[in-house]
Amino acid sequence: MKRGIALIRLLVIVTVLITSVVYLLPIYVMALTSLKTPLAITQRQYLYPGGDLQPGNYTTAFGLVLPSIVNSSIIAVTVTLIAVFVGGLGGYFLSRFKWMIAKVIFVLVAVALYLPYQAVLIPLVQLVAATGLALTHAGLIVSYLILNVPLASTLMATFFFSVPRELEESAEVDGASRLQIFFKIVSMTSLPAYASTAILVFIQVWNEFLLALTLSTPYTTTVQVKLTEIKGSYVALYNLQMAAALMTVLIPLGFFLLLGKYFIRGILAGALKG
Amino acid sequence: MRPGRLSRFGAQAAEAAVFAFPLLFFLLILYGMLAWTFYTSFSNWQGTAADYRFAGLTWYRLMLSQDRFWVDVGNNIRWLILGVLPTATLGLLIAYLLELGSVKGVEAYLRTLILYPSAMSFIATGTIWSWMYQPDRGVLNTILRAAGLDSLTSGYTTDESAAVYWLILIFVWQFLGISVLLLQASLRTAELQEMVEAVTIDGASKLRILYSIIVPNIRGGILIVVSLLVISALKVFDIVYVVTFGGPGYATDVLALYMFIATFQQHLVALGAGLGVVIFALAFVVVIPYTVYALQRWFQ
Repeated sequence: MKRGIALIRLLVIVTVLITSVVYLLPIYVMALTSLKTPLAITQRQYLYPGGDLQPGNYTTAFGLVLPSIVNSSIIAVTVTLIAVFVGGLGGYFLSRFKWMIAKVIFVLVAVALYLPYQAVLIPLVQLVAATGLALTHAGLIVSYLILNVPLASTLMATFFFSVPRELEESAEVDGASRLQIFFKIVSMTSLPAYASTAILVFIQVWNEFLLALTLSTPYTTTVQVKLTEIKGSYVALYNLQMAAALMTVLIPLGFFLLLGKYFIRGILAGALKG
Repeated sequence: MRPGRLSRFGAQAAEAAVFAFPLLFFLLILYGMLAWTFYTSFSNWQGTAADYRFAGLTWYRLMLSQDRFWVDVGNNIRWLILGVLPTATLGLLIAYLLELGSVKGVEAYLRTLILYPSAMSFIATGTIWSWMYQPDRGVLNTILRAAGLDSLTSGYTTDESAAVYWLILIFVWQFLGISVLLLQASLRTAELQEMVEAVTIDGASKLRILYSIIVPNIRGGILIVVSLLVISALKVFDIVYVVTFGGPGYATDVLALYMFIATFQQHLVALGAGLGVVIFALAFVVVIPYTVYALQRWFQ
């Protein structure tokens, strides 16, 4: 028995060591490269430090990605706010009404949740172009809304399941309407759920690439598209590329590190029920 | 039915409609677009201007006669198997190991460590891993050379026969954290804990407990993780786009990338729509068992 425990301890330590290297090394190389001069990058191994540190790379890279950070922020924040609102309403419907039609809607939502974007990409481009939405952020906002409302609804529904019905029933006796109950009681007790859903939707939209690539214009370039543009440029600005990549992951990563609890709850909610 | 009940039902339906309407609105557009894609795949649309004249199966026939399509299908299958099985198995082993010998601080550290990539975009991870893989000055080869293992160095994503596997490894790296997280949650149900306790007293070995008690009893959790991984592996696009763009040649091409290239670069829109339909059909088949499971749990 003693030997068993010692063996498990050893295995845990080995696992921690291996994963530490595998998961920290890429970040280390990224940070290191972002601080090198282009010359130091082309002359040495990526793994080793070399040349003078260039914190100035970040100022340059920031100027490069700032417009796209603004674009992505406008798009992701708007989508998150609307998706969470609509998702709250839809989620309440899915969690409280158990008629046949609710089952049909549930299946439609479940399929939509996993719909590959390729299956709707061509009509989306047509729609966004025909309505003139393509020229502004509205094009991407509407597209992301269509694709993220099912996700937000499922997440919110899962959370609403755990809100005790007694609260609602007593309000109903007092003569409150469903909408009042929803906004004043259910939503108010579910603020952490809204936070989880918002973080998940925001990260999803911030990181999305396929739609951004096909639907963004020079006015609405998102961070992911900008990153590939920098990567693909012929004058390989590797140091700037790495600095830019680091800056654009800081926002979702910041959410993850600071609000990890909500992020984790969101992932669990999205998987375990819906 | 008494009139009172009927009007009560009517009032309830009206209330429900308020909540359901915005969701239904977005679902309607979504499924409308899906139908539109289907329709387009049977049209004769090539070039930049829309052309919805019916062309039957012409473009599907062309699709099936392309070598590239079958290379893609092969690669997608590789992604499905190698992106899913190792991630789920490794995830289960790590989750179980943490259950057996978890020290609180260690667990929190490990969780954050392997979960952070799930907050990053495939574009960012793909970019970083290009640096790991770069043959001359890249990180992996540098380490191998320093360790005196020159024979193990390789061209990674530039090596035509192995490139796709190196791409899949990036995916495994990025999804391992979610796999551990979800499986940990299903290991922690009270019923399972009791069962494990009972057989532990009988003196069953840890490994035996894992495959004869735990695995059969967390089938639901495994189904969820596998479905999530399968869908993500099936629609993989970003990693391939940013690391190899399907190259060398089209050795690492996948259906999703071909769909993009056919539609927006070659302007064979009907063909692109057909590829979209194929990807959707595959995804749909994969989600069926999961949807049935979720439906049962939801309405039980």
